[in-house]
Amino acid sequence: MKINKAFRHCSGLALLGGMLVAGGAQAQSDSTECIAPAKPGGGYDLTCRLAANGLQETGLIDQPMVVTYMPGGIGAVAYNHVNGVRKDDPNLIVAASTGAAVNLALGKFGQYDATEVRWLGALGVDYGAIVVSADAPWQNLDELMDDLRDSPGEIAFGAGGTIGSQDWMKAALTAKSADISPRDLRYVAFEGGGEALAALLGDHIQVFTGDLSELKSQLGSGKIRVLAALSEERMDGPYADIPTAAEQGYDVHWPIWRGYYMGPEVDDDAYFSWVNRLTELSESPQFAELREARGLFPMSSFGPEFDRYVQDQVAQFQSLAEEVGLSQ
Amino acid sequence: MKLAADRVLGLCLIGLAAFVAVQAARLHVPFSYDPVGPKAFPLILAILLAALSLVLVLKPGSNGHWPDRSLAVKLLAVLAALLVYALLFTRLGFVATTLLTTVALARAFAAPWGKALLTGVLMAVGSYYVFTAGLGISLPSGDWLRPLL
Amino acid sequence: MFDFLIQGFGVALSPLNLGLAFLGALLGTLFGALPGIGPINGIAILMPLAYTLGLPAESALILLAGIYTGAEYGGRMSSILLNVPGDAGAVMTTLDGHPLAKQGLAGPALGLSAVSSFVGATIAILGLTLFAPLLAEVAVMFGPAEFFALMVFAFASMSVMMGKDPTKTAIGAVLGVLIGTVGVDSGTGVLRYTFGMAELYDGIDFVVMIIGLFAISEILLMLEHANRKDSGGDIPPLGRVFVTLKEVLFCKGAMLRSGLIGFIIGVLPGTGASVAGAVSYTTEKRLSDKEGTFGNGDMRGLAAPESANNAAAAGSFVPMLTLGIPGSGTTAVLLGALMLYNITPGPMMFSERPEVAGGLIASLYIGNLVLLALNLPLAGVFARVLTIPRWVLVPGIAILAFVGVYQLHSDLTAIYLMLIIGVFGYLLRKLGFSLAPVILGYVLGGLMEQNLRRALSISGGDLEILWRSGISLGLWIAAAALLVLPWLLPKLLKARLGRA
Repeated sequence: MKINKAFRHCSGLALLGGMLVAGGAQAQSDSTECIAPAKPGGGYDLTCRLAANGLQETGLIDQPMVVTYMPGGIGAVAYNHVNGVRKDDPNLIVAASTGAAVNLALGKFGQYDATEVRWLGALGVDYGAIVVSADAPWQNLDELMDDLRDSPGEIAFGAGGTIGSQDWMKAALTAKSADISPRDLRYVAFEGGGEALAALLGDHIQVFTGDLSELKSQLGSGKIRVLAALSEERMDGPYADIPTAAEQGYDVHWPIWRGYYMGPEVDDDAYFSWVNRLTELSESPQFAELREARGLFPMSSFGPEFDRYVQDQVAQFQSLAEEVGLSQ
Repeated sequence: MKLAADRVLGLCLIGLAAFVAVQAARLHVPFSYDPVGPKAFPLILAILLAALSLVLVLKPGSNGHWPDRSLAVKLLAVLAALLVYALLFTRLGFVATTLLTTVALARAFAAPWGKALLTGVLMAVGSYYVFTAGLGISLPSGDWLRPLL
Repeated sequence: MFDFLIQGFGVALSPLNLGLAFLGALLGTLFGALPGIGPINGIAILMPLAYTLGLPAESALILLAGIYTGAEYGGRMSSILLNVPGDAGAVMTTLDGHPLAKQGLAGPALGLSAVSSFVGATIAILGLTLFAPLLAEVAVMFGPAEFFALMVFAFASMSVMMGKDPTKTAIGAVLGVLIGTVGVDSGTGVLRYTFGMAELYDGIDFVVMIIGLFAISEILLMLEHANRKDSGGDIPPLGRVFVTLKEVLFCKGAMLRSGLIGFIIGVLPGTGASVAGAVSYTTEKRLSDKEGTFGNGDMRGLAAPESANNAAAAGSFVPMLTLGIPGSGTTAVLLGALMLYNITPGPMMFSERPEVAGGLIASLYIGNLVLLALNLPLAGVFARVLTIPRWVLVPGIAILAFVGVYQLHSDLTAIYLMLIIGVFGYLLRKLGFSLAPVILGYVLGGLMEQNLRRALSISGGDLEILWRSGISLGLWIAAAALLVLPWLLPKLLKARLGRA
């Protein structure tokens, strides 16, 4: 009796849930898939959803793209999975970013290096930013850099990642552009940009090296001052007043691209049909809206051109890592 | 010294502490911005653990009730069932392995064969649909079973 | 001043939004009740769905907030009924919740915890409405040094749990802290105890820990009980189903105090429901446990963590809504959901999008009422889980454990780890260890190490930073008092009596 009742409850719930997520579980073998090498809700999830929603809204795929999560090893688990198990899956793309390139450069992905996979392209980009509190003494990057040269150990930098992470790279490259060894910095590693921003607002650290898009909500509040954007050119919209580091005489760029790779043995047909698909997507006006809603700036680099871009980036990170004695 | 369970545990934990300390000492740290570094904390913990375990070795508590041989066999059988569940989980798929495990566990808890089989079928198929269709969790379906579902 | 709230209630009380609040609460309770599957899953599934259905921003947010608060309600169920915490915040709920169920009081325990959850959440939502901007200022005053002092205080407050076997409690805590050191070191990026396995880089997941320690070991212990002749572990037939007003009033102090503690801890970014549950439980035990009934099914020991973890869940909205800084993993997902709608929470949100901020807060009030209305009468139904025969219940726990852990990473390493931790948990329990210190060590230890090292990176190694601010100094003094007073007070009292 009681069990019957319990089963009836269960089936009721199942029915309800089934109606809600109708179609969500129809993971057919010929439909496309995007692996987000992280837990739901993070940047990689966003990257996968950008492709999934974009491709569906523009009609470039017939069936909804399946997004699966494969967290672990800052992306290494997914990288090994694609290189070991699903080497030639023509329907599978994996989300990646500048952070993945940094980890590849440092050898954190184990036996596989950056040349193993087929880099597909990037659909959007965010840029690093150098941020101080509104009541900090520095009005521009020059003033900060002057003080930093005098006493690098007096100014605490903070960001959302460990030594060797892409967040740390922003601080390290900034220091290097003022001829200061990244090892002489004072740097505090937080768990995510949010915590680092909170520490800046509470005056626990003096400089936060974050990303432009995560600062959007803070810009009008008058609590922070963005000394420099680490982009090639000034951004428009709410960011129009932020000068780039380059125009202040410091050669620091930090694009955080959001893109995808495919397995190493995917054939050229499949690879180039994806390249075309993404290229077409990046040109549609609907997609521009989606991209902006996720706080990303335009970036269109696909196929072999993108592959070269990633390899160059990895080589650049490797030389920096060797310089400061980070490589393993 | 009589062989008390706490003593065995204490000795094992001292071994663990030694292992932890050796591993920590062998860490290669390129550089660190804080004077503590990644080694100090595990080393302190290892020392703490060793000291506390020594207390356990010297002053063991009561021995507790340990399972007799027939119960130990049953416990190991249940563990083995769970291990097999894990080993075959992705290979045979969720439904098949869950059916096997449910029947095995139900039998271990003294269910008659008929009831165990019925529970197994209902739970395996039911939970598969609740999790995949209802809660949107993707589970290994086992490729060989796909045409049947 | 509260225009946004009036506007918000106007939004939240529309039939569609009321229905969504109800649906969210129901689904959230379900997600929270399943061990390992939490609000993050629910939100991650429904976020794209809400977007595809074209729900307006405030409606989507109301649905998601319902799931979030509902999950905190649901987490307690398996804690009480099965001794397996349903989520991170519900670990301390097992300590007195499950003993109550074993005494045949599962129904009242579920009812009482629903009331406690309601009280805690209400305190926090009121706090959120009245003081959010002010609290945000206080929250950012907590830097690494202050967090380190807070962790020292939390460890000191754990001393009350030493109980009859202080050595084993301490060993448990040390083991927990050690497990927490596995993975990438968050300061230097060095890998600790990963043995070349990429699956271990991110450390041992909290879900793997609690499911292994609690659920797997519980299966083994159930087998022992089932085979013992005296059948001492059997759960007596269900007694009465509903909690009495007298019982609720008995716990009112515990609920109110813990709600306040939970809210404050929830507001701080980086600490969440699990820390709130731990601090409130130990505080309540210290204040109220005169007869040593805590841990054996004391109603106040159940009310305290339940009130606190719900308060913390609502409290973590404060830094999100006012600063744009997520206070927990789940609010980070909510933040992502908002961004999808082109809303970036932050200092400007209350002035720029009052209907969203107000709608969200109003929906928290409504969702909370819905949850109480849903959970009180259902306590009796859920308590019947205990009447399910073991041979159905145990496979059910096994399935939940496997699915809960598998869906984390979609690979088997976590499942093997869970089984190893499960055997380890079984041995510890057989040897008279309590599992709570292990979990607390795991949660608090990592925060303690990271924040100590962050503070010293800021100061360049100068220890003075650790007690420079008033907040940290206060926490150090409180921690010292917790450790010294229980030992000193009786002596002082004796000396006084001697003189008199």
